[in-house]
Amino acid sequence: MRRFFGKRFLRGAVLVLGLFAPGLALAAESAAVSSPRVTATLVSSRDAVAPGERFKVALVQKLAPHWHTYWLNPGDSGEPTQIKWDLPAGAAAGDIQWPAPKAIRVEPLVNFGFEGTILLPLEITVPADARPGENFALKAEATWLVCEKICIPEEGSFTLDLPVAAASAVDEVAEARIDAAIATLPKPAAFRGRLRDDAGKLVLDLPGLPAGAADLRFFPLSDTLIEHAADQPFAAGDNPALTLTRSSAFKLAKPEVSGVLTFTEAGAPRAVTLLADADPALIAAGGAAAPEARPAVVRIPMPSEGADLTLWAALAFAFAGGLILNLMPCVLPVLFIKALGFAQLAHRSRSEVREQGLLFLGGVLVTFMVLAGAVIALGALGSSVGWGFQLQSPPLVIALAVVMVLIGLNLLGAFEIGASVAGLGDGLASRGGRLGAFMTGVLAVVVATPCTAPFMGAAMGYAVTQAPVVALSVFMALALGFALPVVALSFAPGLLRLLPKPGRWMLVLKQTFAFPMFATAIWLIWVASVQSGPQGVLAALVAVLAAGFAVWLVGVTRGSPGRRVFGSALASLVVLGAGWFTVQNAVPGAATEARAGDIEAWSPERVAALQAQGKPVFVNFTAAWCITCIANERVALSRQEVKDAFAKLGVVYLKADWTNRDSRIASALAEQGRAGVPLYLFYPARKEAQAEILPQLLTVDGLIAAAERAAGRNAKTAALP
Amino acid sequence: MQSLTRQTFIAGLTLAGLAFPAAGFAQGAAKVGAPAPAFQAVDVEGKTRNLSEFAGKTVILEWTNHDCPYVRKHYNSATMQNLQKDMAKEGVVWLSVISSPQGEQGHVDAAKAKELTVQRNAAPAGILLDPNSKMARAYGAQTTPHMYIIDPRGTLAYMGAIDDKPTSAASSLEGAKSYVRQAVAELKAGKPVSEASTKAYGCVVKYAPLS
Repeated sequence: MRRFFGKRFLRGAVLVLGLFAPGLALAAESAAVSSPRVTATLVSSRDAVAPGERFKVALVQKLAPHWHTYWLNPGDSGEPTQIKWDLPAGAAAGDIQWPAPKAIRVEPLVNFGFEGTILLPLEITVPADARPGENFALKAEATWLVCEKICIPEEGSFTLDLPVAAASAVDEVAEARIDAAIATLPKPAAFRGRLRDDAGKLVLDLPGLPAGAADLRFFPLSDTLIEHAADQPFAAGDNPALTLTRSSAFKLAKPEVSGVLTFTEAGAPRAVTLLADADPALIAAGGAAAPEARPAVVRIPMPSEGADLTLWAALAFAFAGGLILNLMPCVLPVLFIKALGFAQLAHRSRSEVREQGLLFLGGVLVTFMVLAGAVIALGALGSSVGWGFQLQSPPLVIALAVVMVLIGLNLLGAFEIGASVAGLGDGLASRGGRLGAFMTGVLAVVVATPCTAPFMGAAMGYAVTQAPVVALSVFMALALGFALPVVALSFAPGLLRLLPKPGRWMLVLKQTFAFPMFATAIWLIWVASVQSGPQGVLAALVAVLAAGFAVWLVGVTRGSPGRRVFGSALASLVVLGAGWFTVQNAVPGAATEARAGDIEAWSPERVAALQAQGKPVFVNFTAAWCITCIANERVALSRQEVKDAFAKLGVVYLKADWTNRDSRIASALAEQGRAGVPLYLFYPARKEAQAEILPQLLTVDGLIAAAERAAGRNAKTAALP
Repeated sequence: MQSLTRQTFIAGLTLAGLAFPAAGFAQGAAKVGAPAPAFQAVDVEGKTRNLSEFAGKTVILEWTNHDCPYVRKHYNSATMQNLQKDMAKEGVVWLSVISSPQGEQGHVDAAKAKELTVQRNAAPAGILLDPNSKMARAYGAQTTPHMYIIDPRGTLAYMGAIDDKPTSAASSLEGAKSYVRQAVAELKAGKPVSEASTKAYGCVVKYAPLS
């Protein structure tokens, strides 16, 4: 029946029966199989058949309101109608010609199927040697699942006895019904689609789609291609395309997908059958089993830097890495604060300065232990995290940005903390001073994590594969190396004495230090924007505003006890509200896409496929919050010489972006004996050849040399058959 | 004084910042190879169960609805019960999950769920009641049955159909390949799960509306 003949008209199946069922069952319609949900019959377009002819029959299902049966791909659940034929010798039945399905929502899932009255047409071929006068018996066993919210499997046997005659006798009423149903079947589209991967999403390009097409929906025949319930955003314009979501059970066996595309054109519903050429890379991705559930950490011998470190080497590496970490830009703002504190204390008691240095050390050690503990504990729970993992949490990134802004405001003198401006250093022995020194250490470590120093990668990669005690000692060595310069400074009075006496210069210096703080805040908000998109920026700026307002409020209401209570209460409310807003809005998800141009998103399957094609592959494991990574991209990776060399040698550049959590990337890092980014791998142009690990600080020459090594082996093997 | 109180102030802020990150680690729907979504659900004994309490054990989640024809196919033939008992012998924790909300077909209370277990001679280690569909949403459960296997490290090792015969006909059990048995055997042998993600089949899971 026509698809727009909706449920409204089907107030009762009885009425429908009255419309269609001839008073007496003609030979052209079988006896009905009925349930309270479905009335099914087999209809033939012939009252009598001629030898050798092909004629149309249809299985008719009249469904009660709100009940549905299923299309060939039933969607998230269900089963399509099936017909098994028992035909006279030499006769043949074709396949069901499926009408265009409807998406039937069963929140939050979706089924593909039919409501109302549907005809499932197909063709029967009469054998040429059928003799007129014989009986041509059509016997069919059909099974279908009919669901509203609950599902009932039903089945029915249908028999039609058609006499064989010299000339066939057409049943006009039945033929008209079947032809009307066939007329509404989806026709082959006039164009072919293209299916490609775009940063983990599937994009179906529809070149040749009629302009003005709207309300598109693609129904794939395969039930392991897309998430059926996901929205299918449509990009109109010169390159019309649907964005589809990859099925969790994604499988693609051949480079072609087929399905039905429904849309409206000038308000009229249209449906076409669509064939689309799939990017062969998708087959590699689907052909392999889903990503292996690897253990969180895999120990394999590391081919280069830190090849199977001994414990002592790992400790030495960690200590050196910690030392060098002080030279990285992440920590500088915090070291500014520390230096400022020392400068103010320089001409006072030496023991107090020492105490400050040791408290800073304590803060650094404790924080490293907490971080290491978290990394180890989460690893034991099977969740793979690594160095810098806390920066994968947008709310924490935003909280750090707020801290930076407030420190900056305070250094500029925008607000004062504490009772009033008393003499410098009066509260030196107070608990506040000690806690502050300790906390500076904590803060230094937290902001240091976006940076990775040379030697650190190998040491930490070693640490996370070892027993907890060993891992903790490696982190401890790292912490000692990191805290050493500040502690040494606090124990070197000679150095401090070189500083002039406190005076106006100190105020100017203090204000100068505000700007690195603001710069750090800007960078952190940018990281949040990469992680959570525009909502992340909004949340960050709201958080900064709320924090600024709160400290100002506390400042101005300081006068009397009553006002003070009111001010603190209001400030707490504002801070809590902003915190809630941040957590609500700063959610990871704005997947960072490998930038356009010739950089593709990384996947292990893609690497394998490219290697098999004999291409050298460069993989850049990076994250927006990883300063070292970005520095490498600026000074080496994005340089023209490197791009030219890559192009000349046919290197494919893949990017694995770890800005947000991604367990596949984490386990790939673990396989290379690493616990964090950056990691640079060069895969030679040979199937399954081991990758070369590049140093964590890249140079243009080093990169080009590595590219030549990876491609050079290719030149030798290319001659082989 | 100033610099020190400033440091105290920084201290407070840092602490506040460190208290924030919890929200960032909420995982979306289940993905094979990724940490299995954490859950918290009340079982039929009234106890709150968490995924974390099963750390170090393989866990099987079975979404079920006793009146669904596909579920009945597996229970009426004792296929499901035998699988549950075999898995228990292997030391695997089997949790049946019932996600039908109040007023929907398939919703049962604890007493009824226990009665069904006795009636059918089933042997799950526990039955979780998920009438607000929280757990179903976290895992993206679509059908009954829908099977999930979590390895001892908490990584999702398998999700999908119970076997390779997507029909409610009892005759289909003959010669069906159990994806669950296959995956558990491969996990035990330390091999990667060869078919780790398949298309589940069955009746649709009834979800509670998002409040």
